[in-house]
Amino acid sequence: MRVMSSPLEVSTMFRSTSSSNYRVLISTLTVMAFLTIWEIAPRAGLADATYISQPSRVIAAGLEIVRTGGFARDVYASLSEFAIGFALAIGIGVPLGLLLGRFLVLRYLLDPPIMAIYATPHLALLPIIVVWLGIGMQSKIAVAFVGGVIPILVNTMAGVRGVERSWVLAARSFCAGEWDVFVKVILPGSLLSVVMGIRLGLSRAVLGVVVAEMYQSQAGVGNEIMRYGSEFRTDYLLFDVLLVSLFGFAATSAVRALEEQLWTAGK
Amino acid sequence: MDARTVLEPAMEPHHGSVAASHIRVEDLTVSYENPKAGGTFIAVSSANLDIARGTFVTMVGPSGCGKSSLLLAIAGLVQPASGSVLVNGKPVSGPGRDRAVVFQDFALMPWRTVLDNVRFGLELQRWSGEDLTVRAKRFVELVGLKGFEHYHPHQLSGGMRQRVGIARALAVDPEILLLDEPFGSLDAQTRDEMGSELLTIWEQNKKTAVFVTHGIDEAIFLADRIVVMAKNPGRITEIIPVDLPRPRTIETMDSKLFIEYRRHIRECLMREARDARDVIAPRG
Repeated sequence: MRVMSSPLEVSTMFRSTSSSNYRVLISTLTVMAFLTIWEIAPRAGLADATYISQPSRVIAAGLEIVRTGGFARDVYASLSEFAIGFALAIGIGVPLGLLLGRFLVLRYLLDPPIMAIYATPHLALLPIIVVWLGIGMQSKIAVAFVGGVIPILVNTMAGVRGVERSWVLAARSFCAGEWDVFVKVILPGSLLSVVMGIRLGLSRAVLGVVVAEMYQSQAGVGNEIMRYGSEFRTDYLLFDVLLVSLFGFAATSAVRALEEQLWTAGK
Repeated sequence: MDARTVLEPAMEPHHGSVAASHIRVEDLTVSYENPKAGGTFIAVSSANLDIARGTFVTMVGPSGCGKSSLLLAIAGLVQPASGSVLVNGKPVSGPGRDRAVVFQDFALMPWRTVLDNVRFGLELQRWSGEDLTVRAKRFVELVGLKGFEHYHPHQLSGGMRQRVGIARALAVDPEILLLDEPFGSLDAQTRDEMGSELLTIWEQNKKTAVFVTHGIDEAIFLADRIVVMAKNPGRITEIIPVDLPRPRTIETMDSKLFIEYRRHIRECLMREARDARDVIAPRG
């Protein structure tokens, strides 16, 4: 048999690799330029380092923060609040989204409250969450959960609804029962959307933890940021902010990498 | 042979022996609820059909004549409003291991490779006693996709995708192969090639095949018998035995008899279309 058309995959792959190298180069240059200007501006008298700080000062502040005993405790507090809250968001958001996507009645029942929460800025719920749960870890976990669960839920639902009817029909034609359809079609068919929801939920959960700590708390990176701010210690404050954004960036990139892998596999 | 006698519409001897027919469609009506129009849409109206074991039957007709609905009812994927489908004399109540479907839009799982797509039906039917991957590989080779086992559907052309669809259906070793406009979205040349190859594969094991198409040439080329359908409501208007020698090649399409069949079916379809217009015209 003759092969009717050769796949174009190889050439596309090469093009995307070289263009992504190009992208990394340009992005790196931008960051370098920004850091250089930031370092030079206060030295040249163009800006006041008390207000905007400097990369070198931020690094020095960082070294000192890391050396002091409280740092590990704060990072541990923030990370565990995030981890627990976000794990709960995935553990509840994904199964609930699958159910709502699959069963119309449930969707009709729960759609209005979910959409209402979706439209609410979840940080506006912070004061009432503190009233309910106090200023300890629980309220931070709750805020991370509320922030993360909604995008996960909504995207999972959309993923299930995006499953092609013909895939289900094909499965049924091979005598698949409800459970088979769910495991072999619905689940893998909506996986990409689920992971996308997890990525979107992630940044909202990080935000939730930090802001909740800034609002009222006894520990955590957000708590430190607030303290440095009130003490006018911009170098220290910026180091913590940088830490949070690096964490968010790394975690989001990891999920995105997974997503891209699924995307190329399942287009 | 006198073409005239061959082309006489053969009325189904419906009270013949039941045992002989592999698939028997009895007074089948398929309808769909249409909430928008606030009513019921009759897709197939009182269809009767007998299909003998090992024959290749094609169904041809305009869009909306219910040919796909009839096929899906035989597959057990659509529940009839009335009447019944019998396979081996037993009424069909749902999909079964004796039947496999090839879909118009291929219906491949995009996250699965070619090999895993062919494994799909085997997994669902919980095949055992043989390594599923080995079996799937054999069917990938049968449809000429050796070397493409680990490609994903989006990396393949339409023709190659439908080869996967055919391999997936054949892999579960059905008695009956049901094909719903399988080459409908392919270009003309690929379509002819796929038709010839399908016949080659079919002639190796002569499974009963039911093939829905709106291409007249395709319908004649493949068939032992052609079921001609019309719409409003969807129904069978004629059943034509095709007496072209096998194995058939592309050259078969140039034979005098083939052209005679083509003319007859075209007239048959046009007559129905004209009658439908005549019914509608006076109202407008």
